[in-house]
Amino acid sequence: MELTRCVGWAYRANKLEPALSKGNNCLDAAKACNLNDTCKRFRSAYITPCTSSTSNEICNKRKCHKALRLFFDKVPPKHSYGMLFCSCRDIACTERRRQTIVPVCSYEDKEKPNCLNLQDSSVRVKPAPQPPVPALSPPQTQSPLLHPRSLIPWLTPEPGSPNPMCCSLLIGTVMTPNYIDSSSLSVAPWCDCSNSGNDIEECLKFLNFFQDNTCLKNAIQAFGNGTDVTVWQPILPVQTTTATTTTASRFKSMGSESTNNEISTHNDLPACANLQVRLLHKCYTKIAI
Amino acid sequence: KGRRGQKGKNRGCVLAEIHLNVTDLDLGYETKEELIFRYCSGSCDAAETTYDKILKNLTRKKKLVNDKVRQACCRPTAYDDDLSFLDDKLVYHILKKHSAKRCGCV
Repeated sequence: MELTRCVGWAYRANKLEPALSKGNNCLDAAKACNLNDTCKRFRSAYITPCTSSTSNEICNKRKCHKALRLFFDKVPPKHSYGMLFCSCRDIACTERRRQTIVPVCSYEDKEKPNCLNLQDSSVRVKPAPQPPVPALSPPQTQSPLLHPRSLIPWLTPEPGSPNPMCCSLLIGTVMTPNYIDSSSLSVAPWCDCSNSGNDIEECLKFLNFFQDNTCLKNAIQAFGNGTDVTVWQPILPVQTTTATTTTASRFKSMGSESTNNEISTHNDLPACANLQVRLLHKCYTKIAI
Repeated sequence: KGRRGQKGKNRGCVLAEIHLNVTDLDLGYETKEELIFRYCSGSCDAAETTYDKILKNLTRKKKLVNDKVRQACCRPTAYDDDLSFLDDKLVYHILKKHSAKRCGCV
């Protein structure tokens, strides 16, 4: 259950749209973005810093990351996720999808750090004013990123949030993930497990959680197949422990009983069996790197 | 009465829009992306300022050697947000000041 709570994209199992629809969904998503004033504005707002070279660097990575976070923060998911999780049938499409975050600036680097080192220097989240912690909530001894049970690539629970549904996106942090090639839905942050020493197992476990995550792949696929996102509806937070949660939305699972070939029912992650796909909850924290 | 006249003066000059392919712009880009292009259109015939009135009168009386004195034109007074797109070779481009946001007789 915990595994699924940060799956921040939705699907419609009963969508009539044929899964084999022709065309380039990623191109369609880009077109739709530029026809929407908000999406157009925030897209240009990150393309600009992510493609402007400075005197001795390809770009100003910090500014690029910041603008990317703003894009995913301000643009409605049907547009932002539409470009990030579009479904593809050919290389032209997957290559376009891979370029969404301008990887040459936001993702790639001269050297590939060790994943565990990257984790150590990872997401610092500025906690919002802390509400009283409910007595029953489990103590958070580990950073959410280190906690495999609560980590979903691209989305991570917001530490310090009273609402366990609150998640923030990894894109725009040093852990920024991207598709690693154009032939699969495998994603990874820019790191590897060389020089791991005794921690090699832990490192591979971490990396594989990104690269070989059936649950994630299914969720991306499901999002890509359901093009109509009118089902994104704001509702009250599921767990209203405090009044500080300002905005929350949830995907209303429509026709979840119907069969969907894209959702594998037999995989090693038990949480996927009853995948509760939900819109990510932006609560009140801002990533402050 | 004066106010009504004032209001009606620029009625001709308005913001219009058209849905285009980026390639329709003929700027040399190869891409399949699209955009909404907004432009200013309409007449600025009604004299706007005393300056414009004088010019009109002088032109009519043929007192100016060069009668191609420019009258007010319907032009953008502000531009739309930047537009970015990915071309067929996976290179990003950004268009600035490419589309109108507001129009006026200037």
